[in-house]
Amino acid sequence: MWIINDLDLKKQARELGVKFWQTPGFLFIILGVVTITIMTATYYISQVYDSPEVLVLAESFVVVIVLTIGNFVISSIEQMVRLNRMKSEFVSVVSHQLRTPLSAIRWETELLLSKFRKEVVGSKQRQSIENINTLSEKMTRLVNDLLDVARIDQGRLIIKKMPVNIVTIIEEAVSGFAAITKSRSIEVLFNDKKNIPLVFGDPEKLRMVVENLLNNSIKYTTNHGKIEIKLLKKGDFVIFSIKDTGVGIPVEQHERVFDKFFRSDNVVKYQTEGTGLGLYIAKNIIEQLNGKIWFDSVEGLGSIFSFSIPLNRKSKK
Amino acid sequence: MPKILIVEDEPILNKALTEFLTEAGFEILNAFNGDEAVKIAQTKKVDLILLDIVLPKKDGYEVLDELKKDPRIAKTPIVLLTNLESMENIEKAFDRGATTYLVKSNYKLEEIVGKIKEVLENAK
Repeated sequence: MWIINDLDLKKQARELGVKFWQTPGFLFIILGVVTITIMTATYYISQVYDSPEVLVLAESFVVVIVLTIGNFVISSIEQMVRLNRMKSEFVSVVSHQLRTPLSAIRWETELLLSKFRKEVVGSKQRQSIENINTLSEKMTRLVNDLLDVARIDQGRLIIKKMPVNIVTIIEEAVSGFAAITKSRSIEVLFNDKKNIPLVFGDPEKLRMVVENLLNNSIKYTTNHGKIEIKLLKKGDFVIFSIKDTGVGIPVEQHERVFDKFFRSDNVVKYQTEGTGLGLYIAKNIIEQLNGKIWFDSVEGLGSIFSFSIPLNRKSKK
Repeated sequence: MPKILIVEDEPILNKALTEFLTEAGFEILNAFNGDEAVKIAQTKKVDLILLDIVLPKKDGYEVLDELKKDPRIAKTPIVLLTNLESMENIEKAFDRGATTYLVKSNYKLEEIVGKIKEVLENAK
């Protein structure tokens, strides 16, 4: 029984959405047990009966049993793969369908807000429309994230590789968040940026990663906190790191930080917003660019998130 | 005043684009399906075409093919404006002669106007 407990087949069955006896783990155990039993039986049969016919019959029986169970294993794995693919396709279809109405909402509110109509709308209405606009932008980002996750799951996330100035990307991201950091009196430092060579990656995706890490740092740092971004050339890589004085991540959850939909317990308590997709996407992007992503965090003190990204070939010496 | 043909089957999106572009100083013609788009492009001289991909009757790729075959229109810049964004879609569009490719949900109307002006400037 300990093997079954150890493999946690019930959990596996629940996660995979199949019945207990259909999980590959369980079927493999059965396969093993059946094979051993039947082989032992065959051995005894061969001891008792001396005729080759009985032996051949017994052996074909073993083959039939093994094939039958093997077939079960294969078809249950196939079913799981199919379900998984269907789920990804579902997410991708739904996200796509959401985009058209979302574009419509954004464009309509933009029309209302546009300079040509300023005189028509009062300031209270204007504020409401601005809120609708901000929220639909947020929803668009969420839909884009879901599409990216679906692409990662289907192995279809396309990443370009070209020389990229990472310093500019960071500077733009920092100034993009300036309004929020100012309103919350959070200081963002980005000093060590001299002599940083071009890196080799996808500018759009790297922007996403940097914005995501910066956004996390801001979101989980209390007012009057400090965020420090550093770049460092090390061997054939540039190392990016961002240090915050935020809430940090509890030690027991460290290994799940880059999991899909992960959100740490201490964060969920007071910051309800967030999908837990950002770091999962970031990890996939950085790894596809042949870099690594890691972190160091102490609950209550803050976190440092870092990633490495290869240098552009010509910048290497 | 530059004349722009908007090809978009979703009425609200078509209307929003039309209003914003009119106020930005363009003359607008509208098509709601691929057939209409080809007919208008062939009969009225337009300076730029904004083209969706998923369209009734003829899709954006077929429209692109037909227009690029027609010597009168072959040089008219065609800006794809769609919510499809896989690499296959983008490559297919450029292979057929699209000038630029914009993903609707990632662009504000104002940014679309900026792109249109840029394309018209380059086409001169």
